[in-house]
Parts: sequence; structure tokens; C-alpha cells
Amino acid sequence: MAIDLDRCTGCQACVAACHAENNLPLSDPESAAKGRAFHWIRVDRYYEGEFPSIRVKHMPVLCQQCDEAPCEPVCPVYATYRNDEGLNVQVYNRCVGTRYCANNCPYSVRFFNWFDPVWPEPLPLQHNPDVSIRMTGVMEKCTFCIQRIQRAERDAASEHRQVADGEIQPACVQSCPAEAMTFGDLNDPESKVSRLAASGRATRLLEELGTKSKVFYLERSE
Amino acid sequence: MAAVPEVIPYPEVRRDLWRPLERTGRSYSIWVIILLAIALWGLSCWGYQLYRGIGVAGIRRPVFWGFYLVDFVFWIGISHAGTLISAILRLTDANWRKPVTRAAEAITVFALMIGGLFPIIHLGRAWVFYWLIPYPNSRLLWPNFRSPLLWDLTAITTYLTGSTIYLFLPLIPDVAQLAEHASGWRRALYRKLSLGWTGSDREWHALERAMKLMAAIILAVAISVHTVVAWDFSMAIAPMWHSTIFGPYFVVGAIFSGIAALLLVMSIIRKTLHFERYLTPHHFNNLAKLLLLMSLLWLYFTVAENLTVWYGNEPKEMAVFGDRIRGHFAPYFWIMVVCNFVVPFVLLGIRRLRNIRTATIASITVLVGMWLERYIIIVPTLSMPRLAAAWGSYSPSWVEISITGATFAVMALLYLLFSKLFPLVSVWEFEPHPAEQD
Amino acid sequence: MYLRGDFENDHSAAHALRQLRAVGFTPADIDVFSDEPIEFPKGVLPRPSRMSLTVVTGAVSFMLLAVGFVYYTQHNYPLVTGGMPLFSFWATGVIFYELTMLGAILTTLVCFLWESGLLRRSRRPVPIIEPGIICIRIGCLPDQADEARRALERAGARNIARMEVAE
Repeated sequence: MAIDLDRCTGCQACVAACHAENNLPLSDPESAAKGRAFHWIRVDRYYEGEFPSIRVKHMPVLCQQCDEAPCEPVCPVYATYRNDEGLNVQVYNRCVGTRYCANNCPYSVRFFNWFDPVWPEPLPLQHNPDVSIRMTGVMEKCTFCIQRIQRAERDAASEHRQVADGEIQPACVQSCPAEAMTFGDLNDPESKVSRLAASGRATRLLEELGTKSKVFYLERSE
Repeated sequence: MAAVPEVIPYPEVRRDLWRPLERTGRSYSIWVIILLAIALWGLSCWGYQLYRGIGVAGIRRPVFWGFYLVDFVFWIGISHAGTLISAILRLTDANWRKPVTRAAEAITVFALMIGGLFPIIHLGRAWVFYWLIPYPNSRLLWPNFRSPLLWDLTAITTYLTGSTIYLFLPLIPDVAQLAEHASGWRRALYRKLSLGWTGSDREWHALERAMKLMAAIILAVAISVHTVVAWDFSMAIAPMWHSTIFGPYFVVGAIFSGIAALLLVMSIIRKTLHFERYLTPHHFNNLAKLLLLMSLLWLYFTVAENLTVWYGNEPKEMAVFGDRIRGHFAPYFWIMVVCNFVVPFVLLGIRRLRNIRTATIASITVLVGMWLERYIIIVPTLSMPRLAAAWGSYSPSWVEISITGATFAVMALLYLLFSKLFPLVSVWEFEPHPAEQD
Repeated sequence: MYLRGDFENDHSAAHALRQLRAVGFTPADIDVFSDEPIEFPKGVLPRPSRMSLTVVTGAVSFMLLAVGFVYYTQHNYPLVTGGMPLFSFWATGVIFYELTMLGAILTTLVCFLWESGLLRRSRRPVPIIEPGIICIRIGCLPDQADEARRALERAGARNIARMEVAE
């Protein structure tokens, strides 16, 4: 995935779309104040300059799907691991809730189900049937909308063709009005995301940790 | 302190040390009831947490580990009282250890039982804790042995097994003697536990050899256990956790708090069970000196840990460091320094001030200080992760405080029950030969 | 049949043991009972022990078992880890260490139970002794009994008596 920070307006559409797509639990002001709100993708704000000539930089942060993920080796039950396609996946059924992975995640993108999730009526009616609902005591995080990836792969396989570049769009990418986000196959050097990642504008978050993350941020070129 | 120890005839030793087993005062029953009530309250809090979800505790993002992990490290640290101290003293043939070891070894076993519970209490789904245990299962999946939590599980299992055996072996001659004198269910119990001990020289030889070996093994295990506990933290790449000295730093802290716990327990035993002739100022003096030594070692490690961070001036680490030294956690930090260094140094370092009373006071402050030390190691790091946008705070809920408090009651309760079943000072090891006392 | 003799201190008991050894009794025939451990001078009543060696053997075999176990379990299920090695020696070194120590602990316990003879049903009579008294028990054939009795007497034993085998 590549995220163009020059295009991001910080509108939070991705956050809302993610909530709807992935059946994220709702939080009330009380639990949000406690730091228990769920946002698989969040928009961090950085301020540049002195007041009044201040510029705000928006940075959507989601699971960076690291190739060398710090969260993986510390899990005692293999609840988090990297699958064949290079995604960090979380197996809710295996998770016992030690929360070690969240402590070891330098990006703080892991969220824990402190209670069984509840939705006020009629919201349960709009749950996405492709995404399981997580019970109390398990960890969760951004999946790159793995349900959409799988659907696209199945569709392509049934039509005996490869998945086309740009065919898969996670909810955040799809909903971004500024088209700041691009999703695709990094293993394919011809894909749009690969070209953006190699464009020279790309950096990775906390690259110095050597996590080999797969989200590229395209910086403003000044 | 160099007074010649009095020689107490053996029958009198027995009578004195067995007295607590035979007579139960009213205050004992009252204490048991109070402690039992607190323990039950803690248990029901845990039940509530299991029923409602771990969210009833105060932990939140990004402070995913709070009081429970602090308690875990604290109790595992206390467990080093015993075994480690008693093993060192046994290996070095320090004869003054003899009246001290049983009390210390019992602390170890009980503190480990309690400490070992916390990783389970803190789990999000505590009811599936056994998924961490490697056994052939219907999920077809074995646990991940690379996780420091699995290291923990193995280390604590080994340590609990070892220290239980280490407590039990020298208890055998005592229960064999007790079996001859007790009656009713006690007699049956002591009979069973004595394994048919007759006092033959083969048995004594085997016991002596086994204890020498066990002392060496348990020493190695105890050091590794607290190192592994430290590695739970230092294997993570969080700022100020990822430190190479955490292993030895934690081991020193553990022995430090262990000696404090032992001193406190000993002075309570001495007072309430009237063991003044057995736990003498001599023992307290020696242990107080050990406590002082560990206090200085602890200070050395604390300075080494913090000075390198400060000098390195790495921004992510400095955020945590600043919060510790002069920010939100500064009061805790400086109380810790006073408790762990200033108080023991003044009270025990000045010879005229060093006596049983001051040693007890110092050990109480050390226990408080060491609990705080674990708190300010765990919480500030977590509340300030690398991305400042995710910074957060933590305050414990009543559930966490209740469960923490209850574990102290459980510890006292287990100790009280133990004192009714077994002599807290090893009877057979209490050899009243003045020539042997150092 | 068994004979017993009581001694006041370890000095006279050691003397008796030397006498008994001189007239041909082996350490296997002799047991010493006391309510405190007694150190005899070297060679008076040798009790050879292989405990240290056995414990080391136990520890090493537990370590090998642990390595094998971890290797087996991690390959037992076709786990997808996306490039992480399934078996990492250093990352599981702590497990091997702890299980080695567990092996040492358990072997020590077994060795103790074996060498002390506890838990083994024995029909040998056990003398009842007063506190502070050291009692020597000799297992002997009836025609050796007089010789044993004389040896005990020479060393100053009190309360020399025949003991019956328990049913």
C-alpha cells in the first residue's frame, strides 16, 4: 500500500469506512477517553511551524504489515503470523489475550477487545457478513481487508485469470475522496503501488527499526 | 553481636519449635478469618473480571500491561527470598543459616504460587490459559516456543517444582519426628509425608547429597527465572525496555526484595511465635548486612540503566526517561529511591542504628520501593510508545487494586496455615553446638 | 537376624564400626540410626554414591529430549510463518535450559529416594531410639551373632539386643 501524504486531507473517511467494513465495535465518549476506542486506521496529525503560520500534516496509520514483524515471535500461541501472501494476519480463535504483540508493536496499531462488543439497534443489521465478530479478550488489527482480497482472488480464479492491478480495494482506499491511497501487489514490479514505492518520494514509518513494513508514505517534495 | 550463642538442649529446642503446632491462640483464628475474607474478596473480583471481561481492569491502549504484570514481577521477585538465599548459604556452609532456611524456602513456594497466577489473571481469555501448555490437542497446534511467555511458563514450572522439592526434602526428618509425637489426622499426615523415614545413615547421606545438588541447581534456576521475567520486557523493542542489563538488574532486584520479605517474615515469626532464642539478633544482623549490600547493588544498576539512557539522549527513550525522572511518574520514582536506597542506607549502614526494629522498617520500605520499581519500569514505557499520537495514560481500577491486595492476604494466610502444620525453624538442623556458630 | 547397640556419641560409634569391619562385616550389613546427621571419619562407613553423575546424565537426557520435543512440535503442524524459521535454536535456548534443569531436579529426587531406600518396603526392624543416641544395627547370620555382640561390647555399647524381623 502507498499513501500520498500530499493528497491526504485528514477527512477521516477511511476511518469511517473501515468501521463499517470490518465490524469494528463502537465506543462511547467514556471508553474513548479511556483510550479504548477502536480505529484500525487512524489519522495522526503533525504540526509544522509556529502559530499563526501553522501547517497540519495528516498521516493515516494502519497496520504496516511488516515483513519482520515484532508482534509475531512474541505470541505464545501463533495467533499472529505472516501468511503466504506476506500479510500479518490475526487468528482470533487462537488468541488468548496476553497483549504482548500490542506492547511490541512500534506503530501502536493493535486493538484489544476489553469486553464483548455491543452495537445499538439497528446497527447489528449492517454487519458485514464476510467479517467475523470478535469476542472479549482477543486482539485485533487491520487486515488489509483480507475478505476483499480473498473474494477478488476467488473471482479471478473462477474466470481463469490473474487478479488485475487495482482490482482489489480495501475499504479505506475505496473511500478516500482525495485518492491518496493506492493498494496493489508489491511483488509485481509493474503494479502502480510498486512504482510509487520505488518513486523516490516513498519512505516508511519508523524505517530505522528494520521492520520492513509494507506501507509506503509518499512525502511532499519541497 | 559476637556474644557466644547459648546452647539450648535438644528437647527444649523441640518443645519450643513445636509449640506453635500444638497451641492455637484466639488472635490466630481472628487473623485467619480476616485474611480469608480478603482473599475471598479478591477471588470474587477475579470472578467478576472473568464474567464481565478484562476491561474491568484499568489497562487500556497503549498501556496493555498494568498492575497484574507489576504484581507478577513483584511476587516472582519475592520468591527469590528463599531458595536463592538459602541455597547460597547452604552452598557456602554458612552455619548461621540453619534457623533461617525453612522460613525462606516457604516464602519461595508460596510467592511462586501467587506470582504464577498473575499471567493467568491478566489474560484476556483466562479460561483458555492451558493453550500455552504444550500437549497434543484438538487444535493440532503446538505453542510457539520462541515467545518469551513460553520461556516464562517453562521457567516458572521448573522453579516451582524445584523449590517445592527443595522445601520438602529437609522437612522429611522433621515430619518423621513429629509423626512419633502427634496424634489423629496429624499423625497420619506426617506419616505419609515422612515417606517412612527411619533416620538411618543411608537416608542422612542421601539427604545431604541431594540437598547439596539441589542448592546448586536451584541457584541456577532462580537466576534464570528472574532473567527470563526481565526478558519478557527487554525482548520487546519498546523504549527503555530494550536494555541488555535488564536480566541482572531484575535478578538483583529480586534478591533484594526477597531478603526484605524474609526479614519481615522472620521478625513477625520471632515476635508472635516467641522464637527469640532461635532467630537471634545475630541472624538479623547478618541478613541486614546482606540487605544493605543488595541495596547498593540495586542503586548501581539503577544508575547504570538511567545514566546511559540520559547520556545517549535518544528522543524516544528520553520521553520515557523524562516522564520517570521529572514528569508524571517522578513522585513514584523518587519515593522508590528513598525506599530502596536512602532508608536502608541510613538505618542499616550506620552500625549504631542497625537492630531488629530498623531492619524490619527498612525491609518494609524496600518492599514498597521494589513494587514501585516494577511499576515505573512497566507503565511509563507503555504509556509512551514510539509514535506520540498513541500516547496514553493508565490508572488502576478497583478490581486490580483488590486483586493485588488480596494476594498479600493469600500470602499471609498460606504462611499462617503452614506454621500450624510444620515447624518454621528446621528442628533437626538446629544443632546447638557453639563451636559451629560463626 | 539383627542386633542393635546404642552409643552415646559419634566417637564411640565410629570405634564400634571399626571393630565390626575388622571382624568381617561389610558396610552393607550395617546401618546407623540417629536423629541428627553424623559425620564419621573417612572410610569408617563408606557409602558410595553415583548421585552427581546420575543427575548430570538425567539433565543431559532431558536437554536432548527438550530439543527433540521442540523440533518435533514445531514441525508437527504445517504452520505458515512467512519466512520465520520453525525451529530456532537460540530463541528456544531458554526452554532447553529450563528443561535441562528440570531434568536435574527430577533426577535428584529420584536418586534421593533410591539411595535413601525410602518408599521401598523393608522388613528390616527399625530401632526406636532416644534423642541424641546413636544406634548401630547389624544384620548377621545366627553363627556370627556372638562375634558381633562382642565387637559392640568392646566399643562400649549399651542396650545390646536382638531385633526381630517385622512381619
